[in-house]
Amino acid sequence: MTATSTVTTRGQQARVPAKRRGPGRGGPRREGVAGYVFLSPWLLGLMGITAIPMLLSLYLSFTNYDTLSSFSDVHWIGLDNYRRMFTEDVHYLHSVRVTVLFALVTVPLKLTAALAVALLLNRTWRGIGLFRGLFYLPSLLGGSVALALVWFAIFSRDGAFNALLSAFGITGRSWVNDPDTALGTLVILGIWQFGAPMVIFLAGLKQIPVDLYEAASVDGAGAFSSFWHITLPMLSPVLFFNLVMETIHAFQGFTSAYVISNGTGGPVDSTMLYTLYLYIKGFTDFEMGYASAMAWVFLVVIGAITAVFFTTGRFWVHYSDGDDR
Amino acid sequence: MSPSGTPQTRRSLLRGFAAAAIGLPFALSTAACGGDNDDSGDSTTKNIELSVFWWGADKRAELTKKVLDLYHTKHPNVAFKTTWQGNSGYFDKLATEVAAGNAPDIFQIDDNAISEYAQRNIALDLTKYVDSKKIDLSRFPDSLVSYGKVDGKVAGIAAAENTPGMVYNKTLLASVGLPAPTIGMSWEDWIAEAAQITQKTGGKTFGTMDPSADYKALWLWLRGQGKELYNGKQLGFTVEDLTKWFELWKDARGRKAAPPADVIQSANSGDVTKQLVVTGKAATSFMWSNQVPELAKNTKDQLGVVSYPGDPKSQWARASMYWSVYRGSKHADEAADFINFFVNDPEAAKILGTERGLPANTELRTQVASTITDENMKTSLSFEDAITPKFGSAPPPPPKGHTKVKAALITYAESVQFGKASPQAAAQSFITEANADLSS
Repeated sequence: MTATSTVTTRGQQARVPAKRRGPGRGGPRREGVAGYVFLSPWLLGLMGITAIPMLLSLYLSFTNYDTLSSFSDVHWIGLDNYRRMFTEDVHYLHSVRVTVLFALVTVPLKLTAALAVALLLNRTWRGIGLFRGLFYLPSLLGGSVALALVWFAIFSRDGAFNALLSAFGITGRSWVNDPDTALGTLVILGIWQFGAPMVIFLAGLKQIPVDLYEAASVDGAGAFSSFWHITLPMLSPVLFFNLVMETIHAFQGFTSAYVISNGTGGPVDSTMLYTLYLYIKGFTDFEMGYASAMAWVFLVVIGAITAVFFTTGRFWVHYSDGDDR
Repeated sequence: MSPSGTPQTRRSLLRGFAAAAIGLPFALSTAACGGDNDDSGDSTTKNIELSVFWWGADKRAELTKKVLDLYHTKHPNVAFKTTWQGNSGYFDKLATEVAAGNAPDIFQIDDNAISEYAQRNIALDLTKYVDSKKIDLSRFPDSLVSYGKVDGKVAGIAAAENTPGMVYNKTLLASVGLPAPTIGMSWEDWIAEAAQITQKTGGKTFGTMDPSADYKALWLWLRGQGKELYNGKQLGFTVEDLTKWFELWKDARGRKAAPPADVIQSANSGDVTKQLVVTGKAATSFMWSNQVPELAKNTKDQLGVVSYPGDPKSQWARASMYWSVYRGSKHADEAADFINFFVNDPEAAKILGTERGLPANTELRTQVASTITDENMKTSLSFEDAITPKFGSAPPPPPKGHTKVKAALITYAESVQFGKASPQAAAQSFITEANADLSS
């Protein structure tokens, strides 16, 4: 297991493999066969629904495949789709910029909000369950179309947000229809749905041994100091997980942009997220070969970003949970 | 797992989740292949099933199904399998079904897409049915027939006739004491009057929507100067023409004849419920003549309709939508017979009314007109009657690539509206991009 080799903290290496060996019954091989048998429904699904279409899309990315044409018209065009993407297609590069901007702003703010609320909710008040539920609610609604429509209504010219502003004497504009602010409304929508990372943070906070805080307060540490020296390091594996997940999630943003722009990426391409452009290319412009190439570039880039996270993670992620009881 | 867990399992769990998430983008490139047409048609038995697919609202579904039932009672061996949905996403679904080889036998299509489907040989060439009068087009206006031909092949049969119509708020114009727009006024005159409307309403309602992002408005404006939107498979106009068009509307916005950019943008999608004439943001919207009843549902005010500004000779009889037959259909003969029934049967015409537009068959048109009671349908109808004798000749339907050109016009017109680009620069970028779209 690769994880073993990257463990750097105190003495786990010896302990963990010992545990894995465990009191097995029937030997590893038979267990393995049984495992695959139980896995087979999923494996079949993986092959049929994921692996084969994936390989097909890899092939199509080197062709001029056009959704409406028959397969006999599909020609191998080598790297031409990839070349076009980076040299000719200004909309492509624009969509990359929009997506990176969206992710760069959304992810840190969303994680900050999630952590802040998780800290607030990590108490034992009466009725705290209700608050946790309420804060999680926006995430239950998920990337739904209904939610995006509501968002559209709130930030349109006659929407609730402008009504609020007018109470302060400010005349608002139609935020979703203005190229300078449309992406901003998507960012806010993204941040608002911080429930999933919040719940994971909460679970992480619960795992931090109370005696660490007690020891720290005996030593005279203040609230900030114990947050900085205890909470953050102890939480770093969870933070890492949330960071990876939310980054990937932000790059995949689609529904809200699709709904708010009516599937166009407008106004003036300001909400043209990568996946939306991919969709337009594949299903509106029928350039499925090109769209496949875009999907593969997307995969490689997200893979690379994740790899960077995993590489740098070892410098700031502390896996010390082997030490608590 | 005890709260402490084993570090190993917990870490690999986190990694496992992260790895699973990485796989997700693929879903996008491969998903969305859900066709629900169960092709059980069997040509060896006499009983067949024709699948029919259209876009539209509830009303259209109700009327269309009545006509299908009527046909079924007359031809009991032909049953129908219907699928319908709203306009948005319709062509995505149709394209996916075509790609999967299970497209419906009969599908609705419009002039934006007809060339895509005809030139890719997806829409069956119906010439032989037209020549043998199995589909009888003898009572159709000439320009309506020719507007269904792509490269000389009959790619679609007009389900109804339609004309771009400038829909105005009658109640509002009356209340500020200004005359209703008329057929044949110039674009400049109209903008001048629109500025007056804005002034009279105290800036609450602007005189006119800014249609600079609307290809059909641009097309009619170009035709008014003897030019075309397309010349075969190329653009029919130059950077200078488009610059003038953008400047015309930049000027209109400057004079407050048209509203600010964010208001215009909200209506650029073409969504009926968001049109400025019904949201009260402007006194007029650039729509289609058959949309008056649909628009009227969204406002208390009374609506009227005239042609877009400019010489009405620029207009022609356009199909609001066509019926096309899928090349792969096993029942093309029956499909053709049904289409003939749909456009030429008096009973069917009575049921359909003007929901899709005017009956394409001119003889039925007068019959239907006498049975119409709906005030808004009457408005559509009397406008169409008034403009029909003034029609000019029809251009060919827009070529393959038009969908992209249409979208690009919206993007570049919006960039001018928001002041992100000068009319000249936007026009230049548009032409470059549109030429590339049309040649690919």
